[in-house]
Amino acid sequence: MTSIPRSQRKHTPKAKSKGMFARAIKQSFLKLDPRIAVKNPVMFLVWIGTIITAVMTIDPNIFGTVAGGDLRLFNGLICVILFATVLFANFAEAFAEGRGKAQADALRATKSDTTARKVLADGSISDISSTSLRKGDIVKVIAGDMIPADGEVTSGEAAVDESAITGESAPVLKQPGTDIASSVTGGTRILSDELLIRVTADPGKGFIDRMISLVEGADRSKTPNEIALTVLLAVLTQVFLIVIATLSPVANYAKAPVSIAVLVALLVALIPTTIGGLLSAIGIAGMDRVAQFNVIATSGRAVEACGDINTLVLDKTGTITLGNRLAEEFIPMATHDLASVAQIALGSSLFDETPEGKSIVILAQKLGAVQEVDRATATGIEFSARTRMSGTDLADGTEIRKGAVDAIKGFVRSRGGQIPPDLDAAYERVSRLGGTPLAVCQGDDIYGVIYLKDIIKPGIRERFDQMRQMGIRTVMLTGDNKITASVIAAEAGVDDFIAEATPEDKIEVIRAEQALGKLVAMTGDGTNDAPALAQANVGVAMNSGTQAAKEAANMVDLDSDPTKLIDIVTIGKQLLITRGALTTFSIANDVAKYFAILPAIFASAGIGSLNVMNLASAQSAILSALIYNALIIPALIPLALKGVKFRPLTAEQLLQRNIFIYGLGGVIAPFIAIKAIDVLVAAVGLS
Amino acid sequence: MWQGLFQIALTLLPIVLLTPILGRYMARVFQANPAIPAPLDRIFAPLERGIYRLSQIDDREMMTGWHYARAIFASNIVMAIFVFTLLMTQGGLPLNPTGLGAPTWDTALHTTISFLTNTDQQHYSGETTFSYASQVFGLGFLMFTSAATGLAVGIAFIRGLTGRSLGNFYVDLVRSITRILLPLSIYIALLLLVTGVPETLSPPVTATTLDGATQTISVGPVAHLESIKQLGENGGGFFGANSAHPFENPNGFTNLVATISMVIIPAALIHTYGIFAGNPRQSWLIFGMVFIIFIISIGIAAIGEYDGNPIINAQLGSPQPNLEGKEVRFGWAQTALWAVATTGTMCGAVNGMLDSFMPAGGLVTLFNLFLQIIWGGQGTGTAYLFVYLILAVFLTGLMVGRTPEFLGRKIEKPEIILASVVLLVHPIAVLIPSAITLAFPETLSGISNAGFHGISQVVYEYASASANNGSGLEGLADSAPAATGLWWNLSASMSMLFGRYVPILALLLLADGMSRKQPVPMTTGTLRTDTVLFTSVTAGVILVLGALSFFPILALGPIAEAFQISKL
Amino acid sequence: MKTITVIEDLQSIATKLSSRKLTRYLLWSSGINLILAPVVYAATGGTISREQSYALGLLGLVTVALSIYLFAVIFQPEKF
Repeated sequence: MTSIPRSQRKHTPKAKSKGMFARAIKQSFLKLDPRIAVKNPVMFLVWIGTIITAVMTIDPNIFGTVAGGDLRLFNGLICVILFATVLFANFAEAFAEGRGKAQADALRATKSDTTARKVLADGSISDISSTSLRKGDIVKVIAGDMIPADGEVTSGEAAVDESAITGESAPVLKQPGTDIASSVTGGTRILSDELLIRVTADPGKGFIDRMISLVEGADRSKTPNEIALTVLLAVLTQVFLIVIATLSPVANYAKAPVSIAVLVALLVALIPTTIGGLLSAIGIAGMDRVAQFNVIATSGRAVEACGDINTLVLDKTGTITLGNRLAEEFIPMATHDLASVAQIALGSSLFDETPEGKSIVILAQKLGAVQEVDRATATGIEFSARTRMSGTDLADGTEIRKGAVDAIKGFVRSRGGQIPPDLDAAYERVSRLGGTPLAVCQGDDIYGVIYLKDIIKPGIRERFDQMRQMGIRTVMLTGDNKITASVIAAEAGVDDFIAEATPEDKIEVIRAEQALGKLVAMTGDGTNDAPALAQANVGVAMNSGTQAAKEAANMVDLDSDPTKLIDIVTIGKQLLITRGALTTFSIANDVAKYFAILPAIFASAGIGSLNVMNLASAQSAILSALIYNALIIPALIPLALKGVKFRPLTAEQLLQRNIFIYGLGGVIAPFIAIKAIDVLVAAVGLS
Repeated sequence: MWQGLFQIALTLLPIVLLTPILGRYMARVFQANPAIPAPLDRIFAPLERGIYRLSQIDDREMMTGWHYARAIFASNIVMAIFVFTLLMTQGGLPLNPTGLGAPTWDTALHTTISFLTNTDQQHYSGETTFSYASQVFGLGFLMFTSAATGLAVGIAFIRGLTGRSLGNFYVDLVRSITRILLPLSIYIALLLLVTGVPETLSPPVTATTLDGATQTISVGPVAHLESIKQLGENGGGFFGANSAHPFENPNGFTNLVATISMVIIPAALIHTYGIFAGNPRQSWLIFGMVFIIFIISIGIAAIGEYDGNPIINAQLGSPQPNLEGKEVRFGWAQTALWAVATTGTMCGAVNGMLDSFMPAGGLVTLFNLFLQIIWGGQGTGTAYLFVYLILAVFLTGLMVGRTPEFLGRKIEKPEIILASVVLLVHPIAVLIPSAITLAFPETLSGISNAGFHGISQVVYEYASASANNGSGLEGLADSAPAATGLWWNLSASMSMLFGRYVPILALLLLADGMSRKQPVPMTTGTLRTDTVLFTSVTAGVILVLGALSFFPILALGPIAEAFQISKL
Repeated sequence: MKTITVIEDLQSIATKLSSRKLTRYLLWSSGINLILAPVVYAATGGTISREQSYALGLLGLVTVALSIYLFAVIFQPEKF
């Protein structure tokens, strides 16, 4: 758990923006390659339209003699505007990719090709390039080395600097066996001692590599919603292609013939170029935002799925409450006094290195207890999930224990002792305060209850309230007893809780929710979380967690901050909202474009009165609509990259807001903009 | 004017009152809740069991989308072959008092496809082309089956959308006829009989007029065809003049009955959906949305007719309603109402000359044909309505930051593809043949009016065919003897087939996919589709998508015509 | 011997040409346009020149090709 506030945290090295514009401009020309252009159906049509109008600039009468003034200039202008439209769209994509690439370069800098010491089967060591490492290989790293690949520590103990990926400057201790500290990430540096590492990912398949290809936009597999939207855009384009292609004979019949260049202009104005040009930029920028949050996602699909989450399964400790519970009070049983309870509590925590144990020692010492036991002769009994207690065995055979109240009850009974009648009252009292009651005993005698106080993270309640408004149910999992859990749950504002939960319960909860058709997200770090992370629709593993957990998850949080899931949900929703809003805007724009272009081109059919914007001339009307159509793409690039601001409102409120801005706004805005452009076009004498 | 508008209001009132009742009845017929037996089971169940046994239908077999569609195609092909043979051999068959011979092959083909697809576009004059046998056993038979097919598709679609299995086509077909179409049309036929519509197999009556001239007056088995013609959104009249003919639609009362029967089934089906979905609030909202668009359409058409033709008014010196091509017994109001109802519901019967409407009426009727949901065709109209709803859900769903879902089922790629197919069919089937026809006006079309009205005529013909409406602006040389008849018959047949079966297949597959989805529970983050806001957005999506695809054509057709008339 | 090699050469050229998609498409479209252009010419009632009718025919083919391309996108969006 990191405790540095997010604002002060050193993020992944900031992308260098120098030269990014120049590179993006260069890229936008390279993307004119038909093999790349064909990937974006809407813009591909504009590109073909550019070519057709270019031909018509050279020979305005190639598709039939057209009457009128200087058609070469007019066709040329249309051609230039269409070309600009294609370039703007390419630029949007290139710029988003450029930002991602800069982010990726920063990541890649941590990952240069190093020499790895591979441990061969006979124990000898051979120096090979890190790129030729394969999954399952064992490598040896010593102080000062770059760790060549993602892996798991098999032996040794060493401090590792992970700042390259987490921005956290304090070195992390790595050792084998332990859940948390045995996994290492390629690209980090070992500071002391040496480690043997078993490689868990082929080069190019590690987390960083996956993230690099995602933020660069190289891994352009579309998300399900993006695919559905692509279909809709292609259909709209198809409809307009048919509408415009069939318009020519109809117009000829009505004795209001239209030149092919104008028809191409009308087609380009009507097809959804705005969203078509920005769609891929939105997706890439979304991944970039995830990366900026120091989260590594294995696919865009996972980020998008975050927006659909119905249920969030969270561990209490570390997520809802501050990681460590502290001893607040000792409650003696009637048969004992406070001082003796403190004495026993101190004795029970002698070997307890956990923050809880240390806080018990501190509280006991504050109450005047003195350490009487000789550490050398006593043995520590470690906490286990099965016994749910820990303690100290003295040299004379005295057993001091502290642990969950029912566990201690069982222990005392097995030693033939009696349960003090006021134990349950103390247990209840602590539980009702939201604390964790621990009973302490020596041999068969229960001395009292320790009140461990849980501190709920500040601001967590507000976040859960937001979640509820977004329709997300939160479920808290805790090993605490039911009463404690219910008190914490009520205080933190979670919707549901599972008390006395085992790791298996996690999977059960997830399965039960999924059976109801819900999408479940969870965070986890331990090896025993791996199955649950794999079962969840969105599993976020902490970077501090085990390799197994990271493999099972579809996202890894480099800061190991479980509450970040809430931010990712927001990013996922933002992605969808931005796409939907710009699509709506794009379609709504067509109304104004029709009113600009149709009266102009069919003026000879007598529908000139539909020219409600009072545009200067037919030429300027067409040019203005096209210029608007082209300029709206760069104008919306910032919005596409930043995403539409997400507010935690109910669906109804969000819809109302966004329909108002992007639907109604999309109908009205172009009327004003086209009129303004028309005034300018007329002013420079192009009408 | 107020009297006319009052007449319209009086006709609409029974529709609002009767549709919920019929909707509830249909929901029970099609087993919205299998625990509740359908009404009148005691009478109908044995009859249906007999039919199932006779035709070896396993009424418990549930069909997938593909199965359902295959059953429709197979049964429709058999019906088409039967009717085509009947029409071509009518000369040698009984019940042919006027001794009519076989029509040209393309007329027979067009007529068969036209009645098979519930379009009932008629490139012929009924009383002088087809014998009583052809009309009753051929066309009358298809009037029932095509309406029942549409209804079955609508019900299967609703079932799929609400997460049920689609059902069995043959059972739905039989039940549609035995429990809905047949009883209602018998009832309506009796009403019509009482008010003066003939029902006879005797040959035409010969009368001597006051001047002493001899006049042949066609009669025939009209009343029963008339009722299913209206009720089943068929619209193919016994007489060429259709419901303007005094024997099809003699007076104000028959006109009222006919208008209500056009609208009632597609409108009631929205309520049936509400019962299937367990959400009457939503069905009322959708009903209200369509009703408002319907009323606005009627308003535009009616005011246009009431204001009359400015050119004629200028000559008369006083404003007069446009009564050209109208029956005086119906007047401008009832004719305008009928025109909107008949184009909105894909019935296609006419009680006046649509061609003579003012451009405002022309615009509204064309727009209705383009949208296909202002009640829409039998069964299919309601399904189209939900296709628009799904598209609206997709756009708005994204805007609230979730994968869009309708009734708890996610709208993903397959749904958008299938909904898009429905959206694409119409522009393809209307605009492409229109463009070809207008590119070769002399050789292909034989249009009576040049200029903007000519465009309206051609586009209307294909829009009517593709939407399976069947009404026409006429004025086209589309009857067989004319040289252009062959083109019209074949190209319109293509539009009808394309406009009927491609959407049916897409709708069934869409419903099938939806029925297999695991529903997602509702939360506050879920976009509710039963709100005024969402329904308004849907209305916006319908109007914008409809207007965007057809605005250029409307601009060159009725809109240009309106400006032309007002300028003269 | 010589004729055989010439034939083989021709064959290999033919297969090379036809293996290039673009060449094949261009050949096909100009072939179809030979039929299409007179139709266009007839439709316009002789108001345009023969060259213009060829250009228009080609434009029509481009439109049809785009439409087919869009259908491909609609039915297989993953590939784009």
